Amino acid sequence: MQKLVVVALNSLLAAGLYATMSYGLAVIYGVMRIINLAHAGLMMLAAYATFALNDRFALDPFLSIGIVAPAFFLIGMGLYATLIRWLPRSSAGPSMQSLLLLFGVWLVLQNLAYSIWGGDTQSILTPYTMESIPLLGGRFGVPQILVFLASILSLVGLNLVLRRTFLGKAIRAVTQNRDAAMLSGVNAGQIAAVAFGIGTAFAAMAGSMLSTLYAFTPDFGRSFLLKAFCIIVLGGMESFTGVAVGALVLAFIENFASAYTSIPVSYQDAISFTLLVVVLVAAPGGLPGLWRTFDRRVVAR
Amino acid sequence: MPVESGPILVVSSVSKRFGGLLALDSVSFEVQPGEIFSVIGPNGAGKTTLFSCMVGAVTPSSGSVRFLGEELAGLRNDQIVVRGLVRTHQIVKPFRDMTVADNIRVGVLYGRLRLRGAKARERVDEVLSRTELGHRAGVRAGVLSIGELKRLEIARALATGPAVLCLDEVMGGLNPAEIQQAMALVRALRDGGLTILMIEHHVHAVAGLSDRLVVLNFGKKIAEGRPAEALRDPAVVAAYLGDETEVRV
Amino acid sequence: MTALLRRHPLLPLGVLFGAFLLLAPTFTGRGTQNDLWNMAFFVVLAAAWNLLGGFAGQVSLGYSAFVGIGAYTTVLLSKAGWSPWLTLPVGAALAVAFSVAVGLPTFRLRGPYFTIATIGVGEAVRVIASGLEFTGGSSGLRMPAGTFDFLANYYAMVGLALATLVLVAWLTQHAFGLALEAIRQDIDGAEALGVHSTQVKLQAHAISSALVALAGGLFATNFQYISPGSVFDFRLSLTIVLMPIIGGMGTLTGPVLGAMLFSILQIKLLASPALRDSYLFIYGGLLIVVMLFEPRGIMGLLERLWTRLARRQVPAVAESPGAG
Repeated sequence: MQKLVVVALNSLLAAGLYATMSYGLAVIYGVMRIINLAHAGLMMLAAYATFALNDRFALDPFLSIGIVAPAFFLIGMGLYATLIRWLPRSSAGPSMQSLLLLFGVWLVLQNLAYSIWGGDTQSILTPYTMESIPLLGGRFGVPQILVFLASILSLVGLNLVLRRTFLGKAIRAVTQNRDAAMLSGVNAGQIAAVAFGIGTAFAAMAGSMLSTLYAFTPDFGRSFLLKAFCIIVLGGMESFTGVAVGALVLAFIENFASAYTSIPVSYQDAISFTLLVVVLVAAPGGLPGLWRTFDRRVVAR
Repeated sequence: MPVESGPILVVSSVSKRFGGLLALDSVSFEVQPGEIFSVIGPNGAGKTTLFSCMVGAVTPSSGSVRFLGEELAGLRNDQIVVRGLVRTHQIVKPFRDMTVADNIRVGVLYGRLRLRGAKARERVDEVLSRTELGHRAGVRAGVLSIGELKRLEIARALATGPAVLCLDEVMGGLNPAEIQQAMALVRALRDGGLTILMIEHHVHAVAGLSDRLVVLNFGKKIAEGRPAEALRDPAVVAAYLGDETEVRV
Repeated sequence: MTALLRRHPLLPLGVLFGAFLLLAPTFTGRGTQNDLWNMAFFVVLAAAWNLLGGFAGQVSLGYSAFVGIGAYTTVLLSKAGWSPWLTLPVGAALAVAFSVAVGLPTFRLRGPYFTIATIGVGEAVRVIASGLEFTGGSSGLRMPAGTFDFLANYYAMVGLALATLVLVAWLTQHAFGLALEAIRQDIDGAEALGVHSTQVKLQAHAISSALVALAGGLFATNFQYISPGSVFDFRLSLTIVLMPIIGGMGTLTGPVLGAMLFSILQIKLLASPALRDSYLFIYGGLLIVVMLFEPRGIMGLLERLWTRLARRQVPAVAESPGAG
């Protein structure tokens, strides 16, 4: 029982980061129906940027989020303006063209990091990297707790923007029905640019947070991208609350597997990959879809 | 086409639920071989859903569809086409980057007939001439006019060599001359041995072509029978026009 | 014969090139032969992938798994005493089995979702291969001594490349090709006309996986040493996909052009350290440019140029009615 509590808490801590990471993908997908493979590269680049700020100016990684996130917001809008906006929009969902284009961007970002920082593994060491706090019978690392707090902040912020601001309402409108939103006066192009900026900023925040937990190389990000994708599919591609639920589910499965089974750590990534394929195939509507199948009393939207 | 005794198609208590929405509510009817049988009703009545259930594009929530005595529920779309039941789509979607001839060739190669080689080429030509698309055979399907696209849609379905052809609003968007052409084609197809099911809004076309029809409203069957009787049925009139109107048919 | 030439005007060029490849060992040095071997290797990978990826439109980013299966089967069985040549069909058979196992669940997915699933599968395979004991873990395996015969391997690889091209051409010019094309353009429409799309996809996947595995087996014999990093690598999957994309997906010549381009690129990259560090810039940049400007690749560009030239040659032609 004790162990279960520790596993649950570890899952909660991990879920926060996973959620932040996944919202970056979800916002872009929701508004533009584009699967942003460059997300991995952006997380990686943000990790390096955080590292550079820490290395040169001894800036605490969590504080540097305040610089990195806005900077990447602008980078995201720039990417939209130069590349994404020219893609033809297909009504039947995400296009291969956009997928491959962003894949190309990811490769370029990898090379960028490689040219600037080389291929060696980097990591960030702070005074508190090794510290941990005892809580409810387990010891939890300080960085993990700080990451969790930072991600909660970002999610609360996102929620506020989505529900309380006109921009947020416009984003939700375009996500649900682009044409209707445009008829209501929403400039879908501008919203798309902003959404891409927000998605990139969230990728950056996740990257900064990841840099405090893991060592990284330019190749970093692929497994996290697949996890993020697994999460948004689990959560139902178009539901914002679903992403949070998906994050919790994946985090719990991973922590459970490492605590209770003898699956070696190196295979753990294979868990999320397999789960991704399984969910895509068996439950394409994600958990909300499964819920709907079980509960026939749910009235149609 | 040998004369079958008994109905060629039996739809029994077919229902389809999408989440909380009951699109079809226990619809039943029979179609005799060689008939032109229409399915009519106001928008949203479930007509296209009915067709989708019949061809296996969508699985019915309950009920059965028997074609030539064989149960179709649970079979895939392509399996049902191979057995001889095919439909056209209300929103025509040809293979845009293929020629008209190739569009038709797909059905010839993979439909019920599964022809190859010279026989396949002959059949493509045959279908092209029956739908009057011969002069457009080498043209990319993406550039056709709407009238031609509708004919291509019929041609593609015809190419599979069906016993029963389900036409979903083939006359939508056509001008009066084109409607006459379409009606003549439908008659010719039936005279050639096909059984035809039609979803259609043009009451005149329906009345002029159909041997029998069924009327759907809100997923339920509200009338069935010969056009003259069914169209005079007060329930049908009410469904289309509201309660207090008299209609002369 | 003339009909064949009209449909494939580049065929004589292809035949000449094939002859050149076969005769090359008689008048070129080993270095050039190595480069040609590489190119033939790439041609097999690109042309085979193109069957499912280009013609049917199902883009899989996990094809390195098949290279690895072929390579590892050859090495493991050779170490057990088999003749390397006999290991090749076994590798191909295993690849086919794997392709079906992967295809059955994933072919239910459409477009980009299928692609992402293949990334997941590819990564899972790599992770597992790096962890297993009998595959040598992450340090890889070596072929037994006495199995190296460059010339025989060269002819085998060139022969495989030519055979792949002929096979793909034959398949796509007949009924199977029409089914692939229909699936690519409108899978629901294809099924509504009687095409069993999953079966067609599985067949294309199986055929291409077998060809790729054969190439992988020959690769193992030629390089004598393999590791998960060399044959199960994501970068290899990426290269396999980039070649037909840049050359022109869904065409017969596209993958060949792409393969030629990439093998030249590889030679230049290996020669210059500066470029070696920038290969991702180049790959990524190419992908971005192609997707933005001409998603149909070099063949698409050539076709556009050709139509523009043809239009200029015939200035004002009266439109006769029904002149489809």
